[in-house]
Amino acid sequence: MFAMGSGENMITEEILKNRAEFEEKTRKLIGRPVLLIELDLFALPCGCSGITANMRGLEVDDLEVFEPQILQLVKEMAARFEIKPTVTFARLVPGSSIVASLNWRTLCMRCYPEFARSEGKMPRPDLYMLHFERRK
Amino acid sequence: MKLFVPSPGHIDSLKELLKQKEKIYSIFMAGSPDYIGTGRSNLASPQLEDIKEQTEFAHKNGVKMELVLNSSCMGGRQLTPEGFRINHWYIEKLVDIGIDSIVVADPYLVETISREFDVDVVVSVLAFVDSPQKAEFFENLGAKSIVIDSNVNRHFDVLHAIRDSVDCELKLLINEGCLYRCPFRYAHFNFFSHAFGPEPRPNVLDDYYYLKCLELRIENPELIIKSPWIRPEDIKLYKDITDVYKIGGRTHFVDWILNCVNAYYNESYDGNLMDLLDCPKDLKDLYNIPNKSLDGILEKQWMNCKKVCNKCGYCRTLTKKVTQVYSNGGTGLEKCLPWEAVKT
Repeated sequence: MFAMGSGENMITEEILKNRAEFEEKTRKLIGRPVLLIELDLFALPCGCSGITANMRGLEVDDLEVFEPQILQLVKEMAARFEIKPTVTFARLVPGSSIVASLNWRTLCMRCYPEFARSEGKMPRPDLYMLHFERRK
Repeated sequence: MKLFVPSPGHIDSLKELLKQKEKIYSIFMAGSPDYIGTGRSNLASPQLEDIKEQTEFAHKNGVKMELVLNSSCMGGRQLTPEGFRINHWYIEKLVDIGIDSIVVADPYLVETISREFDVDVVVSVLAFVDSPQKAEFFENLGAKSIVIDSNVNRHFDVLHAIRDSVDCELKLLINEGCLYRCPFRYAHFNFFSHAFGPEPRPNVLDDYYYLKCLELRIENPELIIKSPWIRPEDIKLYKDITDVYKIGGRTHFVDWILNCVNAYYNESYDGNLMDLLDCPKDLKDLYNIPNKSLDGILEKQWMNCKKVCNKCGYCRTLTKKVTQVYSNGGTGLEKCLPWEAVKT
């Protein structure tokens, strides 16, 4: 997986490639430049893990108009990193048009109920739900 | 040319900056947020002993030291007996240290510092001096120097009127990339003043003003072109107004700051204009605006611009001509595309 010393690192190259691809596809979809300013893989102390794409220039209107297509892009990237997200959501600046980030999260046992009990597209003023995978 | 150069605020960065001391007239940096604070974001919070060490080092190298205490909102604390006492104590310490000048935005602080201390008082760009009348007002309060509101950086009639109205030093902030006539300006600087001022500080997750500013400019890079920055090549057109210039950017790496210093010192920069702009630094990885493609525009258009954009359209056309978007950034496939090719 790692090729340290040769100047190549498969993980970072893959992240760079995915960042650029996601940005390009989103631009083509919404028809204007957006910036994926930082793509992060994360792990939290509670046990949640996933991906955060910090966006600049993406707006709530874009989510509402292109939700199925954006969700598809999100799923494709998650699959490439072999992440199976329980929940996919956008984090908004409450009361504004700003989408701060897109988030793919594999929920831990503790955090799952918080999301499972919430309802609607916006269970909190700063969250816009794109997908939630309920346990069977 | 006198260049006022930002420092992130610790001795290591100052030492790096002063390796090019021959190009630097004065360093400026923020002080401790525990007293007056500043109207912009900050990396360091140097305490008095740090400020003393850095001031001595600057002076040893023949460079002046300026402290920026330009909070645009102190919540009235400066007018309370307790606030007066604390601020007075802090400024007294700074003067004892040997600080050459102190930048403030509040008129009360301009007057009180100039009356009670032997230090040059500089009126901050956050006092929004955009007319000869305001400049006269601040000069009469005791200001030794005024940083002119960057909104009028391309209004040569106003700049000349200010120059003709006061005797004090005038400074131009040359690389601020803020929106022209930014509607967020007061709210954003007031927010910063509290976030980078004394306790209690707001616990804010997202800076709405910054993110909205980016959103607007990503959608329309014409707003970058219309920002009132001054290109290094155009400094020569301001020489009958002032020869004192301030480079913004105290939250950047020293290497970035020195790149700006060299560009303005040499009055030339062959690269992306976005490399030089302080404020929307996130957008340098989105847009490439070759600085040299803007040669002659200030003289030809902006010096006499009436700022009625919807009737003119010059900047709109110019934006389409010069703005490129990085595509596949950060990969081997990275290239620049014309902005119009990305926007449908």
